[in-house]
Amino acid sequence: MELFKLEHKKLWRKNSTRVCVLLCFFYCVIFGSVLVYQWLTFGSRKDYGTGSRDFDGYENIKDCQTYFHKYGELTDETLQEWVRDYQRLHKMVVEEERTQGVKNKEILKQYQNSGWETVNSMLKKLYPELERQDMLTAMVMSCYVEPEKLTGIYERREQAIETFLDISGQTGAERDYLLRINEKVKTPFSWKWVEGWSNILGNAVSGLGTAIALFLAIVLSSLFAGEWHDNTSPLLLTTKNGWRKLACAKVFTGLVFTLELFALTAAGMIGSQLVFLGTEGWDMPIQTVKMIAIAPMNMLQAEIYEYAFTLLGAWGFAGVSMLFSARCKNHVLALLLSLAVVYVPMAVHNRVPAALGKAFDLLPLVGSGADVFRTNTFHLFRHYIWSPYLLIWVPLVIGILCMPSAVRGWSRRMRR
Amino acid sequence: MELSVDRLTKQYGNKIAVDCVSTVLKPGVYGLLGENGAGKTTFMRMLCAILESTSGEVFLDGREIVSMGAEYRDILGYLPQEFGYYPNYTAREFLLYMAALKGIPRDTAKKRAGELLEIVGLNDVGTKKMKTFSGGMKQRVGIAQALLNYPKLLILDEPTAGLDPKERVRFRNLISDYAGDRIVLLSTHIVSDVEAIADEVLLMKKGKLVSQGTVSELTKEAEGKVWELMVSPAEAKIWQEKTAVANLRHEGEQVVLRILSDDKPTEGAAPCEAGLEDLYLYSMRECLK
Repeated sequence: MELFKLEHKKLWRKNSTRVCVLLCFFYCVIFGSVLVYQWLTFGSRKDYGTGSRDFDGYENIKDCQTYFHKYGELTDETLQEWVRDYQRLHKMVVEEERTQGVKNKEILKQYQNSGWETVNSMLKKLYPELERQDMLTAMVMSCYVEPEKLTGIYERREQAIETFLDISGQTGAERDYLLRINEKVKTPFSWKWVEGWSNILGNAVSGLGTAIALFLAIVLSSLFAGEWHDNTSPLLLTTKNGWRKLACAKVFTGLVFTLELFALTAAGMIGSQLVFLGTEGWDMPIQTVKMIAIAPMNMLQAEIYEYAFTLLGAWGFAGVSMLFSARCKNHVLALLLSLAVVYVPMAVHNRVPAALGKAFDLLPLVGSGADVFRTNTFHLFRHYIWSPYLLIWVPLVIGILCMPSAVRGWSRRMRR
Repeated sequence: MELSVDRLTKQYGNKIAVDCVSTVLKPGVYGLLGENGAGKTTFMRMLCAILESTSGEVFLDGREIVSMGAEYRDILGYLPQEFGYYPNYTAREFLLYMAALKGIPRDTAKKRAGELLEIVGLNDVGTKKMKTFSGGMKQRVGIAQALLNYPKLLILDEPTAGLDPKERVRFRNLISDYAGDRIVLLSTHIVSDVEAIADEVLLMKKGKLVSQGTVSELTKEAEGKVWELMVSPAEAKIWQEKTAVANLRHEGEQVVLRILSDDKPTEGAAPCEAGLEDLYLYSMRECLK
């Protein structure tokens, strides 16, 4: 334990470690979370041409949340009511624009904060026949669709899922398996403002893994290989605890550091989420973000899944990175190999056969926690397994398998 | 305690770094002398069991050291020739880290680290990062870490490199006090250090152990082989080319040469008292020509 504490202290003493933690925190929490909420994504639009926004995200988010309070649940009636409200606002804004320019900022704000992006995508998915294929397609569907035609929303959803499975070639046992999962989704859906959660589950948490991979690789690639750089191997090898206990302490340090980096960043992200969004909407099913998602999960469960996915993936990646660090005398080479494990599969993902792409997803931090929204499966031993079940555990197993090999590899290299 | 080395050999490809060295080390201070590339470091690394020998074995009290594993390392203290350290650690933290590696309990380690910093004269800079230390200060931390576990076998590879004269004297006193019933083996190029503290000297040349004995025994080997000759500067140059000149000093217009030779080099040469350095240089005499 003492050895672990000192090894851990040694890691944190390095300037590179501190800089990496600071950059990771800044990138994920300040840039990827606080500024996204207050400015980059949820600030009110100055104009649609440049996409520039005001620094007023906090007020906007509260307005958006308030706007949805009256709907409660997603039913045919509330959907129609939302579309009517939206069309009324749209008409007022267009009318004002035509006559005198939009003077009534309150109406414009309400119009912008009506959550039209998510609802529009929902309408396109569930009522494709109502989408106009003429010149007006540039206009959002919510502006022109007739509200009274928006009926049978949940039947439409079932139909959309089946159509999607047909198109993606998921038939027979695979289709039955996925539909069985979908049967557990309870209706009607609780319906509140969705965009905030959509950002968390679609971008923020899934992006965390990509950032963590970079900074973990930088820190952990020198964990073992750094001893060559510091030329300490003759000293270490002649001590009673020698390489074995030290290697175990290093592996443990790597895992604890991964947890610390993750916890620090995740805590910052969750903190800013609580400040800007509060807890409202945590019980909404994830289907309000993507209608054809089949997972019977609410937003909170999906968020927990995505954070768990990132942490387990990060541990898996730490194992891989430590293996390279132990096997390479040069920590720059270890760093490049570690980065290649994540970023090369990501880069070529769409250029390789689908089966290979799916296999890449099983590598630590290559896949995405956002798979909870998808209907991907793995076919193993004649059984279909919904991808999130495997994606969360396999990277960790890969990492665990790498660790003994890292310990052995390091000792072998040290003795040469 | 007895460390016996039996026909220890290390070969890298066609090059033999250590060639069939056999010796027995008992408690005391041993100085290992030899020119660069004589195989001293390789020999020491094999004694520390961090380098596998090509053939031959090392036994501690009859037990083969590699098979002893942690038990052997527990009684070993080692200062490598190129001493590596962690630049962002303070001297005290570095010693605590090494103590943890040596399996010393934290409280004992803290006390011992304090004592050793005092002994090596670094107590006042114990909380400073090692990257700010001079070469000599780092070397003193290296010596301190080797002594952390009160090793019964202490192996120091060039421990006085980078130390100023005052620190060398401090180190020599420290080792003399420490040795007692322990085995201390140190290699150095500074013959006077060995002369001052070593009970026995091992002389290595081209991987072979060419001589072993006390300082007086070894200097006896050089007796009758050291000559002094006063010549003109022009003649001095000629002598330097044709024979091994251990020293050269000017006396007025003349030059006094200290010549190493089996026979009297010339009529005017006078025999003089041999020292350890003479023996060392005598064994390396072809390098002096």
